Amino acid sequence: MSAEPIMRKVLPTVGRLIQTAWKKYSFVFVFFIILFVYSLTIEAAGNTFRWQHITAILSSQNTVIVGTIALGMGLVIITGQIDLSIGSALVLTTGATIVTFNVTDNIIITLLAALAAGAIAGGINGVLVGYAKMPPFIVTLGTMLIYRSISLYLVREISPDLTGSSSSQFAMLKSNQNYEAMRMKFGTGSLPGLSIPYITFVFIITVIIFVFIMSKTKYGKSIYAVGSNEKASHLAGVNVQWKKVSVFIITGMLVGLASFIQAAKIGNITPASSGKSYEMYAIAAVVLGGINMAGGRGNILGVFFGALSYTTINFIIVSVPSLSTDIQDTFQGLVLIIVILVQTIGPVIRERLQEIKKWRH
Amino acid sequence: MTILEMEHVSKAFGGSLALNDVHLTVEKGEIHALLGENGAGKSTLMNILTGVVSMDSGSIQFDGAHFHNPTIKQMEAAGIAFVHQEINVVNDLTVFENIFLNREIQTPFKLLDRKKMIASTRQLFQELGVNIDPLMSVSDLKTSQKQLLVICRALHADAKLLILDEPTTALSNEEIAHLFSILKKSQEKDKSFIFISHKMPEIFELADRYTVLRNGEFVSTGLITDTTPNQIASDMVGKQFTEGDVYRSRTLGETYVELDNLSGPGFNNISLKINRGEVVAFTGLAGCGASELLQSMFGAQPIETGSLKINNQLIKGKIDTFMRHGVAMLPSNRKENSVIHDLNILDNMVIAEHVLSRRKMIINQRQEAERYTNQKNALNIKSQNPNDAITSLSGGNQQKVFLARWLNTDAHLLLFDNPTQGVDVAAKEEIYKLILKFASEGKTVIINTLEIPEIKKVSDRCVVFFEGQIVRIFDHTEISEHDVMLYSTNAVNTRGGHDHVS
Repeated sequence: MSAEPIMRKVLPTVGRLIQTAWKKYSFVFVFFIILFVYSLTIEAAGNTFRWQHITAILSSQNTVIVGTIALGMGLVIITGQIDLSIGSALVLTTGATIVTFNVTDNIIITLLAALAAGAIAGGINGVLVGYAKMPPFIVTLGTMLIYRSISLYLVREISPDLTGSSSSQFAMLKSNQNYEAMRMKFGTGSLPGLSIPYITFVFIITVIIFVFIMSKTKYGKSIYAVGSNEKASHLAGVNVQWKKVSVFIITGMLVGLASFIQAAKIGNITPASSGKSYEMYAIAAVVLGGINMAGGRGNILGVFFGALSYTTINFIIVSVPSLSTDIQDTFQGLVLIIVILVQTIGPVIRERLQEIKKWRH
Repeated sequence: MTILEMEHVSKAFGGSLALNDVHLTVEKGEIHALLGENGAGKSTLMNILTGVVSMDSGSIQFDGAHFHNPTIKQMEAAGIAFVHQEINVVNDLTVFENIFLNREIQTPFKLLDRKKMIASTRQLFQELGVNIDPLMSVSDLKTSQKQLLVICRALHADAKLLILDEPTTALSNEEIAHLFSILKKSQEKDKSFIFISHKMPEIFELADRYTVLRNGEFVSTGLITDTTPNQIASDMVGKQFTEGDVYRSRTLGETYVELDNLSGPGFNNISLKINRGEVVAFTGLAGCGASELLQSMFGAQPIETGSLKINNQLIKGKIDTFMRHGVAMLPSNRKENSVIHDLNILDNMVIAEHVLSRRKMIINQRQEAERYTNQKNALNIKSQNPNDAITSLSGGNQQKVFLARWLNTDAHLLLFDNPTQGVDVAAKEEIYKLILKFASEGKTVIINTLEIPEIKKVSDRCVVFFEGQIVRIFDHTEISEHDVMLYSTNAVNTRGGHDHVS
């Protein structure tokens, strides 16, 4: 048998495989395209693209902290809602986390406090949205202002012995016994050999847990159902209100986890400036991850790649020396718009092409 | 003088003939009742007249001009106004702004002339005897007032022929009387009306002439004074076809469902006992309360007073309480209330069962695959792959997936609200057989349907509703399309109607 007929059979199958892979995992392709552009800019600057560039992406604050919160944002968006308060909530819960650490000098209690504080902040959003039936955009806009202003107030009012700093900052006390373990060993340490930070593994494990929840549990399926058709879900017995509340509580707990990472990695937080626009960065990661803003659709694994893509875009801008950092947001915005454009226009163009094909026949 | 003449109108959708050589003639200044069962072709005919749908053959003559497949705009300009069942008003504007929408009076400086528009609205309302303040916000109006507003808007736009599609479904008796007085007043001004309604008393009170359609064909036309409710009911249902009857009488169990003086949104003082293994059909016109009752029996709507017992247990609460007591409801309007379009076929099929078994949080993939195969075989669902989109299935197969959704919960009381809506003929027959199969397995089934032939096919008893109350219960042998129609349109309480019950 000659090779030609086999090729004729194999090629379309490969083509179809790529097509379905592209459809299902477009966020992976998007990330690799962006990564490729990043490697080009580095080579253009006369350096060689190395493993350390990739570990830098994996350990960036935009990946581990924004990425962790973005997983929650992904759930909120899948149910057809939005959470604008996460940046402010991060500041408030990190404040609570650091104060707890300063007082107790215990890492486990600090972690539990971080999760609890986050759950409360998210729970307030959830109850107002789910049970008081207020629009999530407005509720979380309100709590966004409230959480930050409370942090600003508390950091000045609480004694520096608790905040750990006298300069309007929450900072971990270096005099605590466990400071060394929490910051130096865990927060900034990394796996020997691979030079991937431990906190990146925390993020990756969290991603795996959420991919599992969203694809293998009844809870996950019901979240998609609520986002897809609320009324039909209700008539199938799904407790729609509670599902809507629960995604805010989960987001809050992820904010708590991010606070713990922030404390361990950075060691402090400044209410006046930290966490600003994080809600937008998280939404960007969700959208770059291919999750539909209308709700009901999207793979939570996409958020992981979305966060990586977002970090890489930042690195590209920084790596071009002639670009001012002021123009950074313009590029982030452009990439976001282009990705959405491809997502929305792509199917339309495909349909047109098919119509033309049909018309020709 | 004739204002409208539609002749030899035919229209096919795909392979099926929706209208076959239909005639409709409306005289100037008359109220013409257009009658027929659901699916008789009334809507198609009206859509052709208003330019929404094109006809395959036939002719339209309106107000002296010929039209062949006109556009919506042309017919509007010619003076035809369609007052739909869903009221189209702009809630955020005031009454007079709605009247003048798109036809605003402007001052010489191209600003809105509010004074003139308000005065003109007042005058219009006065002439018709409508008691609405032109400056009120439309969102504050009652449904009946909104209905009047739409009619006034059409009259103000100088419509010569108004099509009213079941205008009285949402109105109280007083409001209906008011509406009728306004229609009669405008009739005196040579306005003509096509009046679509299923309520026999109001047709006989209001209409001058009538036309009956059945299965897309013209049946009869004439003066209302020359006919009887009985004759019209016969024209509407035609000869009864009972071929392919799948019904078999069975021995029924003890009382399983007991409604005692149950009242809720849309129904009042309903008392009814249903036996285990029985198939009961609820029927009546849209808004008669049967669908609302089913929803309250499933916890989707509240129960206001009275009690509901299932298997001798008093039940109250939300949907999942009812589900845990073995109640399932297949809602009407599949697209809106059943289809979860982003979930695949399998996930759509198991979602209700997930609610009951939510303590076992992780999905057992193998068990679900088994469930899927079992249901697919039992219900003959024509699906390729459980991971395909639910929307890739035909209406009938989608409906079977939703039947499976509830069979998976092991429910004993199945409430089916309009289960054959948007389902092709073959799938309908399959659904009837399934309903009888469920009943023979000891499940109790209540179906709510407007299609009288299917009541005859599956039900042991037929409960007829009119305006939120039970007006008649027929045993299987007593069910005749003609009598059910007489009771559900309340024709029995119309001139001479009672004498005609067979």
